[in-house]
Amino acid sequence: MRIYGLELLRGLTITLGHFVTSYMGGIFTVPYPEKRLKTPERFRVLPMLIFDGKEGEKWKTETERCTACGICAKVCPPQCIWIVQGKDPATAKPVAKASEFFIDVDVCMNCGFCAEFCPFDAIKMDHKFELGSGERDKSHIFDINRLHVSTEYYAETHPRAWGEEQARKKAEADKKAAALAAKKPEGQG
Amino acid sequence: MSDAKLLFRPSEEEILEQEAKRHILITPWDGLLKRLDPLYNWGRRSSLWPLQFGLACCAIEMICTAASRFDIARFGAELFRASPRQADLMIVSGTVTKKMVPMIVRLYNQMPEPKYLISMGACASAGGPFKEGYNVVSGIDKFLPVDVYIPGCPPTPQALLHALITLQQKIDKQSIKTARWYGKQEGEEVPVPMLGPDLVDLRRSDEIREICAAGEPAPKPAQLPAMIPAPAAADGTLVQAGDLLKRVRQLQLQGDRPMDYLSNLTCTDYQDCYEVVYHLYSTKKGGPATALKVRTPKVNPVVPSLMSLFPGADLQEREVWDLFGVRFDGHPNLKRVLMWEGFEGHPMRKDYLEPYYEGPGKIFPSRWKEGHHQRAEERVRFGDNVSYPAGFDPARWEEPQGQSPAWTVPEALDTLVVNLGPQHPSTHGVFRMQVKVDGERIVALEPVMGYMHRNHEKIAERNTWLMIFPYTDRLDYLCSMGNNFGYAIAVEKLMGVKPPERAEYIRVIMAELTRVLNHFWATGFLLNDLGAFFTPALYAIEERELILDLFEMASGSRMMCNYMRFGGVAADLPEEFLPLCNSLVNDRLPKAIEQMDRYLTRNEILVNRCRGVGVLPRDAAIAYSAAGPVLRGSGVEYDVRKAEPYSIYDRFDFKVPTFPEGDVYARYRVRIAEMWESLKILKQALKEIPAGEILAGKKLWNIRVPAGEHYGRVENPKGELGFYVVSDGTDHPYRYHVRAPSFINLTALGKMCEGHLIADVVAILGSIDIVLGETDR
Repeated sequence: MRIYGLELLRGLTITLGHFVTSYMGGIFTVPYPEKRLKTPERFRVLPMLIFDGKEGEKWKTETERCTACGICAKVCPPQCIWIVQGKDPATAKPVAKASEFFIDVDVCMNCGFCAEFCPFDAIKMDHKFELGSGERDKSHIFDINRLHVSTEYYAETHPRAWGEEQARKKAEADKKAAALAAKKPEGQG
Repeated sequence: MSDAKLLFRPSEEEILEQEAKRHILITPWDGLLKRLDPLYNWGRRSSLWPLQFGLACCAIEMICTAASRFDIARFGAELFRASPRQADLMIVSGTVTKKMVPMIVRLYNQMPEPKYLISMGACASAGGPFKEGYNVVSGIDKFLPVDVYIPGCPPTPQALLHALITLQQKIDKQSIKTARWYGKQEGEEVPVPMLGPDLVDLRRSDEIREICAAGEPAPKPAQLPAMIPAPAAADGTLVQAGDLLKRVRQLQLQGDRPMDYLSNLTCTDYQDCYEVVYHLYSTKKGGPATALKVRTPKVNPVVPSLMSLFPGADLQEREVWDLFGVRFDGHPNLKRVLMWEGFEGHPMRKDYLEPYYEGPGKIFPSRWKEGHHQRAEERVRFGDNVSYPAGFDPARWEEPQGQSPAWTVPEALDTLVVNLGPQHPSTHGVFRMQVKVDGERIVALEPVMGYMHRNHEKIAERNTWLMIFPYTDRLDYLCSMGNNFGYAIAVEKLMGVKPPERAEYIRVIMAELTRVLNHFWATGFLLNDLGAFFTPALYAIEERELILDLFEMASGSRMMCNYMRFGGVAADLPEEFLPLCNSLVNDRLPKAIEQMDRYLTRNEILVNRCRGVGVLPRDAAIAYSAAGPVLRGSGVEYDVRKAEPYSIYDRFDFKVPTFPEGDVYARYRVRIAEMWESLKILKQALKEIPAGEILAGKKLWNIRVPAGEHYGRVENPKGELGFYVVSDGTDHPYRYHVRAPSFINLTALGKMCEGHLIADVVAILGSIDIVLGETDR
């Protein structure tokens, strides 16, 4: 005779095992919002623009890193980036600064190409994911003010990339200084 | 006494009332409501029951939110209801297509008040990256009121939980007094949109008729897609239409290396002809493809159908008819497969322009230098992603005939047609099966798809080569790394680039981790379909989460990895990746697979439900172009990694597990065995991975690919994933086609299900392991 239901009991031992381990620190659940899953540095949600400055400051044309070269708009797969190149107020000639910058959040696919291919470290991927809201018509077109964050903020979310960037810039500056120093005596002589 | 004093002295009645108020609780209606509202809102906000309803990639994250790591039960919202009658929260999770939106509206109408709607992800909110597609609705809010929008593609489970909290806060502010559903008037139903020559919003019928009657021409695009004449074909590939069947038969029977497997069938629209291309392989000997090409004139294009030799041509030929308008002479059931009957035009033709058409290729000049943002809706004639023929009147539209399945059933049977899907908990997405049943027994079954057809190929032909990468993530969204891999090697072949050693190892590690996580998921959900609701799936998802952590660490995203590039990978592995991956592969995953194997493989319920069900014999599996575990579960030892090794798979020691029975149980066992083999490969790769470069050459964004064509394929977890690319030497592909295993494996579904019970259909479908993003593309 076959006894049915033994498999069921066998299966329940897994449940029992998990029940017991849950009292020994083996809980797998991350109780959001009290606790959050640790996000790795490369985590990407929406793009952000970087300006040189501290948190709480407002970005200015002098501090913005973007040069309006347009590479981010050109690599963007769903074409959700819109850039207006700035003009010199005195001469009306185009300058290497963005005066307007839009990202249509409802088209963006969070692929990170803009950040990957930006030659000026001006656009990066933000970690903020708590973005749910009751409206999209106005608030989902991020403009240049909404997009800008400070280098201080960026250094906090992306410590490794920030460290690499600083090291690279320092190496470049050193190289330049060395080249200048090597050139000087020659010029004098 | 002055008047003022009189005015301020309370009368006796007033004093009495004040006294009474002080000692007796008399609450006016408003005050009572103020006390009741919090209690009432607390009740509703803490028991939001979502509809068990998922559309696309976001639905996977929604399922993860319900699983153990994020545990939506903590918010009282774990009761995902299969019936809209019992649900009060609709989470529109993913791309809303035109073909699907009538069903979504109907479901919403069936939900009782009070009801709430969360629009999850960019696609649901406004069409997202697929917005420009011809079958995509620009946001669910065009039809239904939305309470909370979540940006992101896809939003992570925590983002969904945040949205749920936002919704709860919104509910907290509601009052019984002003709530719509407590009023006398009943909530108005949203008219169900109609599928005419394009999607028709019936609330706009009059407006549409007027615009169509005025005959105002659509604004002419500045530039049309360029077309090239068909290039010279390689020797022996070009076949006259009349000789096709003879030639294929000859190849099928040739003695030394019979080409018995029709892998890919697609079409290219050239200036002077339509070219239908076939890729045939040999399951016995492996090796490269034999390609055949048939050219047919632009006017009234016809090609003989291969159905008599390869039943696996069925859905692929229907797709070519649907998207290119090429007829297949002799096909018994030639009707549209991805779009609906009655849709105007054949969208993959080069001269077909979508309503949101902006230019023949990206990069669009409007974006840069003077890029003032403008929504696509603002520049088109109907203010929406629709177009209608001149003189179209919604009121006089008649549904075309020929939509019903072409089944032949003995008349003696007393049969009934039942629809499973497109909204059904067991169809793994928006997939529909029309089933003819005699009592509980299946007499015939026809798959109906296209509910998530989001125009991947059309959009890709406008994209630059690089831009296609993140779109491939969204094909089989459980296995984005595998999709990246397949696309990368297909194009690298044309470019003549070879990735450096380290990159090759990283690719293999990622692809095999993907296989493990996919098979965990597939096995978990097969058990779901068998009725072991969610328990095995929960444990399977747990392991998947840990692999996703690795992906997120390396690529930045759990699901949409977008990690590979032509000639390598996007970024080197972070330093903590390899130690974690090693401990997962050597310690944790073997235990998890062993546990699954131990508890499930000999489980009496699983064995009884799966053994002998949905049998696909060996020869039929090959003829039906089945791939992956479905093919190997029928005893065919065919795996692209062995048959035509790509990347560095020839260096690893692994087996191709096969089981000869061809039933659901065999396919289940193939998956378990494959996980062990993947772990074997992973262990070798992790041991041997060298240091060094991760990308050949410089990282470029403006890549041009030399003219030519190539069909590249990889063994993805679901089967053979192929990419057919034709380049004309420019920065975007002239033709780009995906051979989707999920789509082609469904060809045999009808045959597998015949004679079984309805409950078995669900198990059989689960054993094929489809994902709708890839099925419908």
